[in-house]
Amino acid sequence: MAKDMRETRIEDLPGPKSKGELEEMKMPYEEYCRATFDPGNEHAKPEPLRGVRWMSTTMYIFTPHSVSNLAELGAEVVKVEMPRMGDPMRHTSPFNECYLYPLHDTRPMTGTGLGFLNANPNEYYITMDYHLDEMKEAFYRLVKMFDGLTECYRPGTFDKWKQSYIYLQELNPRFIYVWGGGFGYGPKVFGGSYDILGQAHAGLASVTGMHEFMGGHAAKHSNWCIDWYSGTQITFGILAAIHWRETTGLGTMIEFSQVQAATRCLGYAAPMYGRFGIVRQRWGNWDTQLCAHGIILCGKSDFPDVPNPQDKHDARYVMVSAFQDEDFKELCAITGMKDLYDKYKVHKDRAEGEAQVEIYAALERWAEDKSRSEVVKILQDAGLLAEPVMNDREVYESEHFRQRGSIRYLDDPIFGDVLTHSGYASGMMSKSPRRQNWIWRPVGADNVKIYHELLGYPTSTVEEWYNKSWI
Amino acid sequence: MCDIIWCKKEINGKKCNTVNYLDPYCFWNWEGKVNCAECKTVYYIHMIQGFMYRGPEEVNEKPDTSPLYADKPLEGYRNYLPGIEGRTRPYQCLPRDIYLGVADMVKFSARGRPVRGWRPQPPSAGIAGSFGFEWDIQKLTPEVWEEYQQKLAKGEVSEW
Repeated sequence: MAKDMRETRIEDLPGPKSKGELEEMKMPYEEYCRATFDPGNEHAKPEPLRGVRWMSTTMYIFTPHSVSNLAELGAEVVKVEMPRMGDPMRHTSPFNECYLYPLHDTRPMTGTGLGFLNANPNEYYITMDYHLDEMKEAFYRLVKMFDGLTECYRPGTFDKWKQSYIYLQELNPRFIYVWGGGFGYGPKVFGGSYDILGQAHAGLASVTGMHEFMGGHAAKHSNWCIDWYSGTQITFGILAAIHWRETTGLGTMIEFSQVQAATRCLGYAAPMYGRFGIVRQRWGNWDTQLCAHGIILCGKSDFPDVPNPQDKHDARYVMVSAFQDEDFKELCAITGMKDLYDKYKVHKDRAEGEAQVEIYAALERWAEDKSRSEVVKILQDAGLLAEPVMNDREVYESEHFRQRGSIRYLDDPIFGDVLTHSGYASGMMSKSPRRQNWIWRPVGADNVKIYHELLGYPTSTVEEWYNKSWI
Repeated sequence: MCDIIWCKKEINGKKCNTVNYLDPYCFWNWEGKVNCAECKTVYYIHMIQGFMYRGPEEVNEKPDTSPLYADKPLEGYRNYLPGIEGRTRPYQCLPRDIYLGVADMVKFSARGRPVRGWRPQPPSAGIAGSFGFEWDIQKLTPEVWEEYQQKLAKGEVSEW
């Protein structure tokens, strides 16, 4: 120790004493990441959006997902649903297979379908028929206490009910108002929206799927990927609006049309038309810029004897990438396509449409007598990038996802043991991670908490509203 | 939204009152004859762009096709599912038979722990439909708790 206690000497401080020592003391990166992100212990860390309060008058997936992102990051979210019915998404899918019960006290035989999962976690669930004049006071009082609202009705509906941004900004000038829906204002103002409409109208479906000369058609993604994607884009808008409000003290109205959202992920398609008048075409499982860089079909299934058709017939696809000259040379060498290598030595040549048809057809001929795992092993052993196209069961069983915690079981406080990926699959944050507290709650489960405990209405009033089906 | 034919044919002094659902993909632009799933009366219809341009008019001929699905809303929603020969249209994409009609009830997840996937469930007993934050399985559904203990003893509960 130094004689004078006021003197600070580097050797007395904890930690490394030199740059060399610092390097020595560093954990291996893998170990560091495991310790820092620590999957499973998210709840020991603070929530980044704690203090933000949001109202969600939303339905289905698209607009609810814009709010679920906030809720997973710690915002206090109140989901407002139709009395006794709830969000229609609760009743939508998947049919007849997986429901969790109960939906509501008055409907003991109805459940919420797993299609609702991940769109509304961590939220408080109240019911309110807010278009009634009698419920306007409660609605406006919530607006005064909350930071913002997301709604999904046809354009102008909330205005008709005197609860659009035009009205609400007078009650709360800091209020952030999100309208998320189909077309938005403009010539097609009255159009509603679904994910499939977003994929179709934005131009995405026209470039998805195989080309018609290969027997393909314009295709939509099986899942509602544009619902999830658009919802996430709204969340970015909300976070920016919160930042803007910190600077100016003023709220914002966000108007988000789903049918234009997917245009964003079309990359160079529209600019290419603007410059050359070329309309981009579909190229399915291959790539318009790179070759070989696509998904091929193998002859044999990895699971020929299981009853599930998805496993039995579909475990035959492999993603392969060998577009660099050296990799393509190796690919041709191990698959016996030496003549193709001689023909397409230059990448520019093999990325041409006709060349791709020839190359992928030859690859699939080579894979005809092999199973998916055989093809993957041969290609990986040759140092090429190849992975099986996995189905949900294989994702569930993937040790990589399990160790990262991106797919896990949640012991839901009401519904029990539920497998979920939720926000855990949306990237990790070391200091303030996303988390899932509960998957959802029954319809109106928090009526007393919000109307009585937060807004201060007597329980007799809450009961009266309930008996009149106003809540 | 698909169009319907609400059959009002009187049979034995009683109206048939069956709602026959016309699947929109097949009937959007279509002219022909469809049978009622219940009484098999044949109706002629002509649809243009989803609009019922002519019909339904009763005819005495063989039907070209059948409705996809039919039900009797005035009689407690008695229904005809797709794919019933002579009544509803054969449909190749039917879900597996175990998924037709009744929801699968489960009490345990894939790894064998309790999940609230069966009905009916006990009501919340809260004001205005309010729920607490915990499902006390041992107290609310002791029989499932008992079953769970047996599964634990047998080693049927795993981490994954």
